[in-house]
Amino acid sequence: MTKRSRLTSFVGVLALISALAFLAGCGGGGNKSSSGDNSNAGSNSNSGKTYPVLRVVWDAPDYMDPQLYYTVAAYQINNYVWSGLLGYKHEAGPAGAQLVPYLAQSMPKVSADGMDLKFTLRPNLTYSNGKPVKASDFKYSIERAFKMDSPGVGFFSAIKGVSGDNGYAATKKGHISGIITNDANRTIEIKLDHPEGDILYILALEFAHVVPTGTPAADQSTHPIPATGPYMIQSYQPNRGFTLVRNPHFNNQIPTEPTGNPDKVVGTIITDPVAAYQRVVSGKADYDFQIVPNDRLPEAQSKYKDQLRIYTNANTYYYALNNAIPPFNNIQARKAVQMAIDPQAIISGVYGGLGRPTQNFLPPGYPQYKKINAWHFDLAAAKKLVQQSGTSGQSVDVYGPNEDPSKSSTEYLAGQLSKLGYKPKLHLLSHAVYFQTIGNQATKAQAMFTDWYQDYPHPLDWFDVLLNGDRITQQHNNNVGNVNVPAVNKEIASLKKITELTPEVNNRWAKVDSDLMVKNATTVPYMNRSSTDFFGSKMDMSCYTFSVVLYWDWGLSCMK
Amino acid sequence: MTESTHDFTLDTAAALADDEEGAIEGKSPWYLAWRRLRRNYVALAFLLLFFVILAACLCAPLYKDHVAHTGPNTGHLGESFTRDGKQVLIVSKGGFGPNGEFTAGGIPVGPQLWHAGGRYVLGADNQGRDVAVRLLYGGLNSLAVGIGSAIICTFFAIVFALLAGFYGGATDWIISRFFDLIWAFPVLLLAIALGTALSINGFHHFGININSGSLWIPTLVISYVLIPYIGRPLRGQILSLREKEFIEAATAQGASPWRTMFSELLPNIASSVLVFFTLIIANNILTEAGLSFLGAGVQPPSPSWGTMIADGQSRIATAPWLAIIPGILIVLTVLSLNVFGDGLRDALDPRAKVRMER
Repeated sequence: MTKRSRLTSFVGVLALISALAFLAGCGGGGNKSSSGDNSNAGSNSNSGKTYPVLRVVWDAPDYMDPQLYYTVAAYQINNYVWSGLLGYKHEAGPAGAQLVPYLAQSMPKVSADGMDLKFTLRPNLTYSNGKPVKASDFKYSIERAFKMDSPGVGFFSAIKGVSGDNGYAATKKGHISGIITNDANRTIEIKLDHPEGDILYILALEFAHVVPTGTPAADQSTHPIPATGPYMIQSYQPNRGFTLVRNPHFNNQIPTEPTGNPDKVVGTIITDPVAAYQRVVSGKADYDFQIVPNDRLPEAQSKYKDQLRIYTNANTYYYALNNAIPPFNNIQARKAVQMAIDPQAIISGVYGGLGRPTQNFLPPGYPQYKKINAWHFDLAAAKKLVQQSGTSGQSVDVYGPNEDPSKSSTEYLAGQLSKLGYKPKLHLLSHAVYFQTIGNQATKAQAMFTDWYQDYPHPLDWFDVLLNGDRITQQHNNNVGNVNVPAVNKEIASLKKITELTPEVNNRWAKVDSDLMVKNATTVPYMNRSSTDFFGSKMDMSCYTFSVVLYWDWGLSCMK
Repeated sequence: MTESTHDFTLDTAAALADDEEGAIEGKSPWYLAWRRLRRNYVALAFLLLFFVILAACLCAPLYKDHVAHTGPNTGHLGESFTRDGKQVLIVSKGGFGPNGEFTAGGIPVGPQLWHAGGRYVLGADNQGRDVAVRLLYGGLNSLAVGIGSAIICTFFAIVFALLAGFYGGATDWIISRFFDLIWAFPVLLLAIALGTALSINGFHHFGININSGSLWIPTLVISYVLIPYIGRPLRGQILSLREKEFIEAATAQGASPWRTMFSELLPNIASSVLVFFTLIIANNILTEAGLSFLGAGVQPPSPSWGTMIADGQSRIATAPWLAIIPGILIVLTVLSLNVFGDGLRDALDPRAKVRMER
């Protein structure tokens, strides 16, 4: 799998986790130590399954620096290198969404108003260079993220002293007043400006992973930062590869984190999915990080069926239609496009079958998800709707990325618009500038390919970020279709204030989904995309562990 | 028929006359060139091949309307067609079954030849588009860009060469530095940079409006980057010719600079221009294919042989015809133009070291 779409990166993995964990941990008030035990979470044992070396073919990480990296490629490998106060349980299935204390001795004590969190570090924590981990290192790490203009600093905006004209985010001078540490007592206190239901999940993000005080506030990817986790980076050569070895000072200092089975991980960076796949087939690697290309999927499925795993995480692929300008400011025109898109055809032809059709904006797995089945593919009826709308013959600027499979998906959209009687004009852009371009109102894009992988498993991450008319901006607009339904905007604003996701609240979110997709036909969702894990023949698949947060948990892998 | 081989390295009229068996008297250079060319059967055979390809591409609209019954950009995902009385999916279905079992799909039908009533003669691509139709339209686009850019490039190269060579001095310096400037960049990289930039928003300056996706963009980009490759050698020839007596004579008779350039100098470089033009077409077709392959040339969904190879490379294992067929056509077209161009050069420039069969 390559980089996540947009800036969602690894956090997308947090999807289900957050939902479940939010419900489990952050719900009520009261002074509590949320699930706070110091247990081993049943996953630290390697059960004698250690083996000398794991050879993986990997995608290029954006960075190998915890305050900077924001891609799955970096997250999946580095979650065993650096640690935060909290982390995720290394277990398959929904259990993997549970937050557990990592560097913290236990889950935090949260004040009744939810605005004060107190942590205590585990005793005798050390970095891989043998130096002790101090409470002040946490504060330094968060401040380092701001100094480096980390893509993750927005997550920390609720911490006291961060926001505002004189906040640390603006000045980057002094210190963040809302983080109070005591090295002698190993305590860390975090004060918030306002209650933040997902603050524990934010503290588990890689941007909050702890690095030694004094680590330069500049990208250290090629100068490995001392690790706190069971592995450390021995070497990293951008676009070529990396080597991870065991952290000699780990000594099971984080009992909630597995010590890992491979003694060494040798990663070769190959961005071409065909070459990556071939390397595993030829026995030169044990794991292919990339999605098996459509071209090789039949072979992988028939010849290497036991070595192939397919999963669908929380994402939605959809065509955004610009609701603000003709022709798609006309609801009949939008409904026509919904009916002209055949999800199964796209999934088969463009994605090789790796996807599940959808008409919902919210992906399955959310408690707020209620399957929508409101229309079906009918090109003739869609053409009639276009005629009725009076928009037939209009030109439509269609935007999409210039790399497959997104490119083919965009071409399909343009083709269907042409069949409807429009005059589509295709604009295919580099992925590097694509979302910036369509997020700029000056572009006046009328129909667009887009997708979303969750940052948090909360409907707000979908409807508020992507379809709230009150959040439309001139540039960097996430609501690329300029969806603006006042009644829905009002409902989102109302739901934002509710932190407890009761069945009633979930139903209201489901209605938001339905109102936007069916009643107002604002958008054309068509697929939840699936991905693959492909392994070499030496791997023992009985150890395969897929976590909703960590994806394939390579630390728990074992050899035949 | 006897066979003899001559190396035309002598620079004397006597030697040439001897080679032509004394038959050049009273004949124009063009007639002599044609006489030499018509005896070069290999060159003529490849010229015929080029015309066959060109004619086939020009017939694309007829093929679309009367044989394939589908356009070059019309996708048919999820549709089927009839072959031998049976319905066949154009692109195989894939996905998850009711019990979650996964089936890989997305494989387009292969070449049907004439078993499907003219549909998908060369198979389909991953959008369910007819490869044969796209191949012909792609050929039209590739040839249009190749020939169009060769015309523009050659025209400007001639003008610049005449101006630089005839006037010399500051004019020559400015034009030569302009050539140097373009030549300072690797030609393909410069073309990619320009093609990519212009393919996003088009060109809207100096009263000229070219929209992104227009064939004019690759045409003009290729023309621009290749001007020095013709302009420089032509300038050299002009510099040499302007010192000749016939130019002095024309000037002495009061011929204006323009008349001298276009009536005296231009005819004397015409043979070189013709050879350059033929060879540059082949070069431009290759450049266009490269640019389109990289996404900086002809823009999707419009086909070109380069874009078709790019589309097909991701299916090389399951549908190799998608990349191989346009690749073969590029090879044949470029080969035909190059071989013919070589033959033309041999015919027009007997001083060059050639081997000619009689």
